[in-house]
Amino acid sequence: MPMRSCSSRDRCPPESGLPKSLALRDDELRSIAERLGREPSQTELHAFDAQWSEHCSYKSSRHLLKALPTKGEAVVLGPGEDSGILHLGEWNGERYGIVIAHESHNHPSQVVPFEGAATGIGGIVRDIVCMGAEVIAVADPLRFGRIDDPLSHQRYVAQGVVDGISAYGNAIGVPNIAGDVYFDERFDDNCLVNVVAIGLVKESEIIHSFAPPNADGWDIVLVGKATDASGFGGASFSSVTLDAADEDANKGAVQVPDPFLKNVLMRASYRVFALLRERGITVGFKDLGAGGIMGCSAEICSSGGFGADIQLRSVNVALDGLPPEVIAVGETQERLLWVLPPELTPEVLRIYNDEYTLPQIARNARAAAIGTVTARQQYVLRDGERTVMDVPIDFLTGSIRDELPYERPEAAPPPPGRAFETGVQLDELLERVLAHHDVCSREPLYRRYDGVVRGRTVLARGEADAGVIAPVPGAPFAMALSVDGNPRMSKLDPHLAAQHAVYEAVRNVVAVGGRPIGLTDCLNFGNPRKIDHYSELVAAIDGLGIASRAFATPFVSGNVSLYNESKNGNAIPASPIIACVGAVDDIAQIVTLPFKRSGSVLYLLGTPQRALGGSVLIDVLGESEPGLPSIDYDEAIAHHGLLLRAAKAGLLRSAHDISDGGLAVTLCEMAFGALGRGRAAIGVQLDDPFQWTHGGVGDIEALFGEAGGHVVEVAGADIEAFEALADGVAGVHEIGVTIDRPVVAIGPQAFDLHWLHGIWSQSLAQVYV
Amino acid sequence: MARRIAVLIFPGTNSETETLALLRDCGGEAELVHWSRAESLAAYDAYVLPGGFAYEDRIRAGAIPAHDPMMDYVIEGAQRGKLVLGICNGAQILLEAGLVPGTGAARRPTAAFTHNASRKFVCAHVYVKLATAPSRSPITAALAEGTLLPAWAAHGQGRLAASQMHLREIERGAHLAFVYARADGSIDPAATPNGSALGCAGLLNREGNVLAIMPHPERDAWNFNHPDRREGRNMLAVSGGAPLFASFVAGVQRS
Repeated sequence: MPMRSCSSRDRCPPESGLPKSLALRDDELRSIAERLGREPSQTELHAFDAQWSEHCSYKSSRHLLKALPTKGEAVVLGPGEDSGILHLGEWNGERYGIVIAHESHNHPSQVVPFEGAATGIGGIVRDIVCMGAEVIAVADPLRFGRIDDPLSHQRYVAQGVVDGISAYGNAIGVPNIAGDVYFDERFDDNCLVNVVAIGLVKESEIIHSFAPPNADGWDIVLVGKATDASGFGGASFSSVTLDAADEDANKGAVQVPDPFLKNVLMRASYRVFALLRERGITVGFKDLGAGGIMGCSAEICSSGGFGADIQLRSVNVALDGLPPEVIAVGETQERLLWVLPPELTPEVLRIYNDEYTLPQIARNARAAAIGTVTARQQYVLRDGERTVMDVPIDFLTGSIRDELPYERPEAAPPPPGRAFETGVQLDELLERVLAHHDVCSREPLYRRYDGVVRGRTVLARGEADAGVIAPVPGAPFAMALSVDGNPRMSKLDPHLAAQHAVYEAVRNVVAVGGRPIGLTDCLNFGNPRKIDHYSELVAAIDGLGIASRAFATPFVSGNVSLYNESKNGNAIPASPIIACVGAVDDIAQIVTLPFKRSGSVLYLLGTPQRALGGSVLIDVLGESEPGLPSIDYDEAIAHHGLLLRAAKAGLLRSAHDISDGGLAVTLCEMAFGALGRGRAAIGVQLDDPFQWTHGGVGDIEALFGEAGGHVVEVAGADIEAFEALADGVAGVHEIGVTIDRPVVAIGPQAFDLHWLHGIWSQSLAQVYV
Repeated sequence: MARRIAVLIFPGTNSETETLALLRDCGGEAELVHWSRAESLAAYDAYVLPGGFAYEDRIRAGAIPAHDPMMDYVIEGAQRGKLVLGICNGAQILLEAGLVPGTGAARRPTAAFTHNASRKFVCAHVYVKLATAPSRSPITAALAEGTLLPAWAAHGQGRLAASQMHLREIERGAHLAFVYARADGSIDPAATPNGSALGCAGLLNREGNVLAIMPHPERDAWNFNHPDRREGRNMLAVSGGAPLFASFVAGVQRS
């Protein structure tokens, strides 16, 4: 059983007489023939090819991932099945869990952006549904190349991906509540399209992705779209470096999205959940991802300690004459697989086929029994009378491991330790930073996504640092979600940047008043067979562990995506992308980002550093500067505790984290947020930085440094109460006030708020018209 | 006996959860009715068509579901005076079924909610203003004159399109039920998110018993849904767009 959900990449070019599409190595082939005592059949070759890919087996990353903390009081289900589960709250005697999964669909999205991004959502939604959960939210972290040239493939990718997410997510009726996007030339040949999905489940009604102990002789029931040739070789495709010459073959490996069918499939599955509740029966349910019918059925049976016997002729297919290996391992979308007691099968088939009319929803879609769970631990596939696969099931699904060489990267050079100076004037710095594609308004993207379907959205995108959903009708608690990972930082120091990714995700959840309870990671890296790429992965996982332990927030699921590199062999920036789930105990205590009133006092919770490495400021100046800001975990934890206590006491009018672009951008965004709400604009007067840094750092570091922290807005009447809470907490600075003039004033210099807002809001609007 | 409201689920509907929840929170006795149980619709007193992408928006949003057997019952019920409310995709279906503005025959549409001027799906918070006398329709009867409701526009095809002749009919016949407005209630073409003719957000039929509204009042209908309504209130109480549903439920009870 793979330790994490399936989907990523790995592969070397074949060296022997295998079909070109296969990527098994010679030594792997030899071990298969040895164990079977014969040459493998064509179907078996393709099965092992998929099952032993990095995509399914995590052979080069699993042993590293074991170092990540996965236990904590909120953990209901850690890594190991299709999704992780975190305890959110209790209501009317029921315990409610948040189901979370995190995946990548990078290579497909680079080749065919619309379909690639759409099937990315389609795939992850199944990971949630198969835990017995209702899907309640998605989020999408995106990394694109340079998009300035309107005719470039990079622009086409950046637009097509957003179209695909919009088309699929909107149609299935799941709100998109969080996400981020960065642009960097090192993503030119290899974009990143990650997706996070969230589900809600009663903890007493979780369905597992393994055959239960009494499943001997039970039915294996395949549900969904008719199997076709799309997505054949998908696991292998995602396990090689993209090569433009193979573009046509690669396109064939991308699945075809059908959100209409998925919408019906989800709702029909919810109906089956109700039937299972009624009968009190424990069954197995799993989604079809990498390795298709073979991968899914082998894992659900072997992880329950069983074998399987499957008749491929019973599979509903889209066209005649598909070879058995295509039916067995093809990755056609919108399919799920049940392990059911035979007496229940007819009722489940009736729900899918008659009540939800699957065969009328998509050509030849249906639910059908295709095989049997067996006590004999062999994995058997039949094509009519012919046996096309017969192998020991634990050999097929057992853990294979690649020990690859890596080295500890040399410690990144430290920051120079002097105050940074530039001849560029403050107004021009603000203009260039606010227009930067990593800083400016994301509204042109997220207004394409339905953020409010289901009616449970508390904070939609743009309202705060994290999206918030109140998932249980009548209950006062809510779930906060943020996704983060800064590639500018990763380029300088993957080890520290991984820690910053966790810190930023945690910080964003705290900013809305959420207690961080769990994390997921999607590790997007280069070629593990290149020592410098693999070493970055090793360093990043170590960094994630440090931050996760420091914040006492465990990882409950994740994904590894390797072989992300450019045509000339350069890796993408190391991209550990982190999702953080927060628990909000009472919706009434939620804090949002926009300034609420003039006359409030602003506090900075954080300590600026003389470290501008990886900052937007350095990027817009076209300079290079070593040294990321370090993380003082003790101080950060103390600040998060203060912020949460102040939120609970109702002392915070607004809060916003400091990240890309630094404090200057944080303050601008808080003022922008208050615009256009049918009320007077609220501006800000920031004290001269020297007054609160006392010269510890220069003005530029104070305004544009990205060391983290928060800004909070406190009403004049609440200052005493807030300062009492903050007593003894280091690094809390009073930095200014909100004012009733539409300006952002920094010391004696005032900048027109509407001018700044125009720069910030227009920069990406020109790309996403 | 309490009047019963059916919330219809077509293949591809996706807003049934919040629609049902708000009808119930407004005192309605509402149930979901699924496409494979179309015949059970005859027994209900009113119909609500929620949002989504019924039949995948093939041809044009609403065009195929307008021909689903479920619509036989809705059309017949509407002709007999039952109240019908369609939201977003439900509104598109009512136009394609010819029920609204109802100036032609059944299933012979005279107007459509079609592709936004931007040709893109848009999700944006909006305000809609009651553009007709409340008493014009039993569905709006409990609203105050000029009521302003918050709502979410979330559609790719929400622009009212019709021939000049039919647009004139819509104006003259007081079919225009809701128009897009700014947060302060003023009418501004810039407040229309989709280029809709007449700034139209909602349409009534001639008799006033069928209302089609494009934006979703049910997605900004509890205090927790909107930042301006969070301070010092019961987060779980209905508010925002809920008065339209309450007025609909009251109309159903009277019918």
